[in-house]
Amino acid sequence: MNPSIKLLLLFIIALEISFTTIISLNVALIVLAIAYLLIHHTKLRTIGWLLIVPLLPAIGLWSTQYINGSGNKTLMAWVLFSRIYTFVFTGATFTLTTNILQLADSLEQNWHLPAKFAYGVLAAYNLVPKIQHEVKIIRAAGLMRGQQLSFWSPKLYFKAVLVSINWSQNLAQAMVSHGFVEDAPRTHFRHCPLVWQDWAIFTVSIILMQVGAFLLPWH
Amino acid sequence: MANIALKNLTYTYPEAQAPTLNHVQLTFKAHQFTLLTGPSGTGKSTLLKLMTGLLNLPSDQGTISYDGQPLSQIDPTMRAGQVALMFQNPNQQFAMDTVENELIFALENRRVQPDKIAEKITTALAFVEISNLRSRELNQLSGGEKQKVALAVIVAMDSDVILLDEPFASVDPAARTSLLKRLVQLRDDAGKTIILADHDLTDYATIVDQVVRITADRQLTTMPTADWPNLFAAFAKTNHSDQLWPLPTEPQTPLFRFNQLGLKQGQHELLRTTDLMLLQHHNTLITGPNGSGKSTLFESLVRLTTYDGQITYLNNDIKTLRRKRYARQVALLFQDAETQFLNITVAEELAQSKKYAYGNYFTSTRIALAMTQLNLTGHEDQVIYTLSEGQKKKLQILLMLIMQSPVLLMDEPLKGLDLKSVRALVSLLKSTIAVTKQTLIIISHQLTGLTPLIDYHLRFDHQQLTYREAIE
Repeated sequence: MNPSIKLLLLFIIALEISFTTIISLNVALIVLAIAYLLIHHTKLRTIGWLLIVPLLPAIGLWSTQYINGSGNKTLMAWVLFSRIYTFVFTGATFTLTTNILQLADSLEQNWHLPAKFAYGVLAAYNLVPKIQHEVKIIRAAGLMRGQQLSFWSPKLYFKAVLVSINWSQNLAQAMVSHGFVEDAPRTHFRHCPLVWQDWAIFTVSIILMQVGAFLLPWH
Repeated sequence: MANIALKNLTYTYPEAQAPTLNHVQLTFKAHQFTLLTGPSGTGKSTLLKLMTGLLNLPSDQGTISYDGQPLSQIDPTMRAGQVALMFQNPNQQFAMDTVENELIFALENRRVQPDKIAEKITTALAFVEISNLRSRELNQLSGGEKQKVALAVIVAMDSDVILLDEPFASVDPAARTSLLKRLVQLRDDAGKTIILADHDLTDYATIVDQVVRITADRQLTTMPTADWPNLFAAFAKTNHSDQLWPLPTEPQTPLFRFNQLGLKQGQHELLRTTDLMLLQHHNTLITGPNGSGKSTLFESLVRLTTYDGQITYLNNDIKTLRRKRYARQVALLFQDAETQFLNITVAEELAQSKKYAYGNYFTSTRIALAMTQLNLTGHEDQVIYTLSEGQKKKLQILLMLIMQSPVLLMDEPLKGLDLKSVRALVSLLKSTIAVTKQTLIIISHQLTGLTPLIDYHLRFDHQQLTYREAIE
């Protein structure tokens, strides 16, 4: 499925379940999401982790609601419990099956976002591990001069911003020296088609979602 | 096919007082391999960036033209086909995640038809002999491998003129030899024009057609071929020393002890499992080719990178020591001076070091004296980032000396300094450690002036770290 349409669909789903209190809808979405992941050959172990990791916060929310909530405590407790899992699994259908490169391709080719934006975001994303290492280095440099730079220390941010400005300049120069020119036409090696089937899946999903929300709710 | 003419070229950085390049006149002939030399920080990078169009040359400051056509009039989309630049820092020249995606990105920018892209990538990678790296992640490659990828990108883009800005600074000797071989091949078989900036002159004598130097008054001069032997011999001397050092004998106090230590960079092995001791109150020099893993060794000693095996400091596993206390014991002088700075002005930096110093040797008088010795007096209120590279380096070393941490690891402390500054620094180091009894461990390529400070010599080469009596 086209990455940007998929992302849009997931946003709408997330928004809608945030405002509904229907357990059957949440459960149905979880089941569908797991089925989608399985079709895309996601490892059972990964799905297992997705079940285990949110368990603590889900139980936390459940018990808070069950003990301190008002109104229909049991219902709301289970709604919140299942909502957490719905977010996790619908989100996973994007993050586990689509990479950021495909999204950038789609944004550039289907929505004609400036290539500078698409590739700038991509380059920044690829820099994240280096930035983490750099923060470690800045903090070590602080300790060696007798100063502990905590996460809210202005000095840490001042240094991090200096380094980032420097890197972003270097990166921009690297892109230019690899032939990148802002707003100039480029060819596309990877095609990211946006076809009527994508729109069909999108529309049918939204309709089904409304059926689950308004016609067949099971509380 | 491109003669490159620089006419009356002057460039001054907006915040600088003196021009970095001053009325430069020179023609680089097509199909030639030119070596551009001169000390660090004299404008080599600036010149190359101007020639690529990465820095804009104001229209009244001279011209750069390719075959008579001024660079400013060449359409930006055609520039990459005309001229490409390979950067010094291999970590900051890729926008994508994998080798193949970076090549695709570059070829798409050059508007190569999609059905031709895969073939061009295959050819370029095969030419540089890195076909096996095609789907690897760039983050996982060694410095040498990254520079080979950078060359493959340039080959794929088929640029006429190839500029290289100190491309071998973190490249191991085998990769350097292989890259130089490819460059010569590009000149001889594909008729490319190559201009390479380097201050390390090893191996160039037989392959280059022209040597151009940046002079002290910021101009370019072509060196007559008759002067080449002197130039190359003088360089070999700064990297060589006839001095012999003793090998350490057992019953001394170990400062660091390596138990089965192993270092890696991505999938690339830097150090094979090693047992070794570094000694307290003795200064150890570590030498070895670029890319052998010397800086990575320092990073593991201060716990900035992961390693296999165990490192102990005064018989404690360094992983069990509290970071804050350990950082007061073992400090690292980073290769890039700016990494060390935490404040804005020189005076603030000095005040910080003085406030948190481990001992009280550096009184205000001694600091003022050291500032005079290092020719830094008068710069107290200056913003550190506006100092010259040499001034930054000297200030950085002074700041770390004031701290008086028992162990100071120094990564290329003399890089980019002139001989006068080197002498001043070494004499300051000697007089200081005579009193403070600090242990210095020094990585250095440049040996002139440094040798009197050294007690032992470690060689890091071919994935091995061993004590040696002589250099080479």
